[in-house]
Amino acid sequence: MNDFGEIENELKKLRPIEPSRELFARIEAQLGRDAAEEKVVRPTAFRISWLSLGAGLAAAALLLVFARVHFEKTPERKAAWRAPAQRYSPSRSEAPAARSTIPAQFVPAGATEVVYRTQDEGLVFPTGSSEPLRRVRARVRETLQWQNPQTGASLRVSYPAEEVTYVPVYGQ
Amino acid sequence: MKDREEVMENVAIHEDWRTCFSQLAPGLVLFARQWVHSAADAEDIVQDAFVKFWRRNHNVQNRALLYATVRSTALDRIRRDSRRARREREAIADLEQAVEPEFRTEDESQRALAMAMERLPNEQREVLVMKIWNELSFAEIGQALGISQNTAASRYRYALRALKKDLLPQ
Repeated sequence: MNDFGEIENELKKLRPIEPSRELFARIEAQLGRDAAEEKVVRPTAFRISWLSLGAGLAAAALLLVFARVHFEKTPERKAAWRAPAQRYSPSRSEAPAARSTIPAQFVPAGATEVVYRTQDEGLVFPTGSSEPLRRVRARVRETLQWQNPQTGASLRVSYPAEEVTYVPVYGQ
Repeated sequence: MKDREEVMENVAIHEDWRTCFSQLAPGLVLFARQWVHSAADAEDIVQDAFVKFWRRNHNVQNRALLYATVRSTALDRIRRDSRRARREREAIADLEQAVEPEFRTEDESQRALAMAMERLPNEQREVLVMKIWNELSFAEIGQALGISQNTAASRYRYALRALKKDLLPQ
């Protein structure tokens, strides 16, 4: 091996090209993702139930649709606050066009709101008001439906909701 | 050498991948370069291999396994992307000077040595790279390549002999 001492020394003087900084950053990003995933607490006996997972995903998708619809109907809710007496119709069949976030081929086909419980919570004095208001809490189930006129396919979203209305008290 | 050993001990204690990797990266990338002709591809291989190695919580002092991981990652990549590799080989054959340098050379003798390295057969070159720039023992090299320690030592000697012959003044 001594015969090669000189060539070995020459080889050791050769310095390999340094890797790029991007390489460090990429590895850091990959390992960082691992570390973040490790922080998620998982039960020791965790098992994936594909049926539950599928149902959960479907529910999540519906929830997203619901969330969009829910936010977009805010103007209507404001109107309801202004006219509380008209609020609790047991059912409605009209479908406001503004609610729809469904792709264009689906058109609104119906909307119902069923009140299944109301509770009179008594008189309250809102800040800045000299007159009492009656607070009524209602639990309702709203159902929205869309239909594709070409294929006949329909999509229905149903969700529970809770609404609080303040009714002016006149001479009670 | 002593500094390197100290770093490796610290790495084993603190599990700091960055400290470990900054020590090993130049040699690992150089090792990967023998299967690809661009530094970027070699870095991709090293990235995949190192992340795989680290994720499996292997002992970082098991360098033979780390190099074996780099090697298998590189070979997998070549198999997966054989068309690209063929294009690269053809491009290299047509335009040899286009190959990115593997070393920082300071003078003509170093450039000649680097070029002589490229002419070595792969099986000798990989042993040389692992021994000189990665400081693996012949036992570790043998373990990484799936050959005996004696075979690794022989290939190393053949490589040095070939380089010496190549660089002899004509």
